[in-house]
Amino acid sequence: MLRKIPIAVCAVCGVFMAAQYFIISGPVSDLYGAVLDWMQIIFVCALLAGILQVVMSQLKNIARPGSGRVYSSIALAGIAVMVVLGFGWGISRGSPFLWMFDQVQAPMQTTVFSLLAFFVASAAYRGFRARHAESVVLVLAALIILLGRVPLGEMISPLVPQTVGWILDVPAMAAKRAILIGIGLGMTATAIKVIAGMERTYLGGR
Amino acid sequence: MNIDRRIIFVIVALAVAIPLVVPLDLPVAVTDETRAVYDRLEMLDSGSVVLVSFDHEASSLPEVRPLAEAIVNHCFMRKARVIGLALFAEGTAVGYDILNDIAAQQGKVYGHDYVYLGYRPQYTAAILGMGESIREVFPTDYDETPWEEIPLLQGVHNYDDIDLVISVADGSLPTYWVEYAQARYGQEVIAVLTAVMVTAYTPYVDAGQISGILGGLKGAAEYEKLIDRPAAGKRGMDAQALTHLAIAVMIVVGNVIAFGARRKKKTAVAGEHAV
Amino acid sequence: MIFRRRYGCLRRQTGVVLFLSCLYAVSISGDAQAAEWYAAQRTPELVAVLLCTIIVLVSIIVARRKRFYIRPLPGLQAIDDALGRATEMGSPVMYISGWGGDLARPTTMASLAILAHIARRAAAFGTPILFPSHDPVVASAAQDTIQHGYAAVGRPGLFRSDDVGFVTQSQLGYAAAVDGIMTRRKPGAVFLLGSFEGEALILAETAHNVGAVQISGTDSTIQLSFFLVACDYTLIGEELFAASGYLSGDPLILGAVRGQDLLKIIIVIVLVIGLVLHLCGISIIIEWLG
Repeated sequence: MLRKIPIAVCAVCGVFMAAQYFIISGPVSDLYGAVLDWMQIIFVCALLAGILQVVMSQLKNIARPGSGRVYSSIALAGIAVMVVLGFGWGISRGSPFLWMFDQVQAPMQTTVFSLLAFFVASAAYRGFRARHAESVVLVLAALIILLGRVPLGEMISPLVPQTVGWILDVPAMAAKRAILIGIGLGMTATAIKVIAGMERTYLGGR
Repeated sequence: MNIDRRIIFVIVALAVAIPLVVPLDLPVAVTDETRAVYDRLEMLDSGSVVLVSFDHEASSLPEVRPLAEAIVNHCFMRKARVIGLALFAEGTAVGYDILNDIAAQQGKVYGHDYVYLGYRPQYTAAILGMGESIREVFPTDYDETPWEEIPLLQGVHNYDDIDLVISVADGSLPTYWVEYAQARYGQEVIAVLTAVMVTAYTPYVDAGQISGILGGLKGAAEYEKLIDRPAAGKRGMDAQALTHLAIAVMIVVGNVIAFGARRKKKTAVAGEHAV
Repeated sequence: MIFRRRYGCLRRQTGVVLFLSCLYAVSISGDAQAAEWYAAQRTPELVAVLLCTIIVLVSIIVARRKRFYIRPLPGLQAIDDALGRATEMGSPVMYISGWGGDLARPTTMASLAILAHIARRAAAFGTPILFPSHDPVVASAAQDTIQHGYAAVGRPGLFRSDDVGFVTQSQLGYAAAVDGIMTRRKPGAVFLLGSFEGEALILAETAHNVGAVQISGTDSTIQLSFFLVACDYTLIGEELFAASGYLSGDPLILGAVRGQDLLKIIIVIVLVIGLVLHLCGISIIIEWLG
């Protein structure tokens, strides 16, 4: 019984959300608006649950002996500091909260993101090997696009950016559209199974 | 035979760092995609309402900020009224900074020429909700000023009163703008993206679901050239160009080494069989 | 039942064609009464939704009586090898469902369905599973799934709740945290199956760096490119959605996969007909769909 209730709720809500796209009457629009509001409320509740989980997990790490204690303490201190700053001094321009975001969080995140530049280089060096005909085409396309997407390509020849445009607009686009259609159909089938109650992975376990 | 990854990392680091110290000043040619976005914004009348959504994280700031600054600059130059908001938590502070910085440079007045509404979670619900009533989704602005006290927002109810939505994103948010705002409400959308996302949204441009794409540091450099305000985009292009060249050279070197190794192995095997 | 009697089949086909014709007529007629409550301009989408639903559900019904064939997927065939390798090394396995989607996303659901199978296999091998998540709801569903997997093979005591949990919602914070776990715990196999964005290559490269076998699959065409270059095995496009059916042999899932294939055939036929008509100067299909 306990598992049947969420499945029934899912089915009713799924059918309603599909139907409201085609039905434009007043009561349906009002109900749709209420659903959108509740989506935001549920998201915030889930976020609170997540924060609690993070805090509990970090506290467990602190209680356990080992090097993880230091990092968990820093993580908890970070959460506490930002909460205090935000509530205490606000989040408007010039506030300590925004200063911490600009001077600490943003540079840290940018640093991690910048790893991509190095990882792309090492993955490209490792992965672009011309072992057979298809991989030769891949390597050539990669080289043309690498040079064509920066001013160097235009300096080598106007044909380079034109070729890049052709590669992106024709063969790459065709492949991308085919994959998108397949993915779209997969998502559609999964959504139909969820609404029909056949797909229950969101409940966890079986 | 593989080169140690650390050597590759050092090469990339040098390729990025050297042009920042010794600018190469490479010429930037404007592509059709960038020009299409520029032409669309040139069609904005004075007083048009443009919604700029900062749908990105702080991590992509070096790439997204020059794009956002260039596009917001152009909106202000066209005397459009800009409503800023964020559908990613981290984009909130960034968007707030960018909007205020550019507005200050252009002498724009908060509440009359631009406003910043702040962040709303659950972007699907927010995008769909704004189609019905923007005020319901954002009853106050980021500084908690009530809707009715902001002159710019009077007369702006939903997408019917918005001339253009510009999604500044480093992820898949423009997809949701297309699927919900454009498909359901007919709202015109322009996507301003990191370079890696551009190819994902070209099908939408071809299908007419997105009016234009501005992508990557190159897009920023091209747009800065069009609005005649060179900035971080132009500076970054030199580093990007040299890095691309370095990666291309490494791919060629890797293939040459691999080819040589395969040839050596074949010769050795042939020699063993001959014996 | 539907396909048993040819006459009954023909009658139904005629009915479907008449129904679709009525919908088409309504969509182009601008009928005033229909416009009051029905968004006539969205009729093509309604036709597509109904067609998809009917074909998928019928395929699922047929799959209950007739087993459908799925071609071998190398990435999925390698799962047991990857798990065995991790067990021999005394290492855990790591499962990452990606930062790009929450539980409402079908890709994440497909990922959790694969996780259910991997959890059972890992439990049989006695191998721990690490599941760091960016979403508390996904973490909760995954915890239940893994716990159930361990219980299903009679080894509930092996489950460790500390290995499964919410980390952070921030994309790069999540990537940094997962990389840290990978570097410290050194999993023998890393499954990158789900909805990914910019963190994909960072995770894949770090997994390669710690010597793990990587089996990946995502719905993002951009991150797919990175996975194809960086990972040992990659599921492309809808192979991710077919994976759970392939692994479990569940007729429901196999039927849905069959339905997807039929829909793809229909799309190709419509595309070809539309292209031929367009080349002949007749744009009826393009205009109706547009």
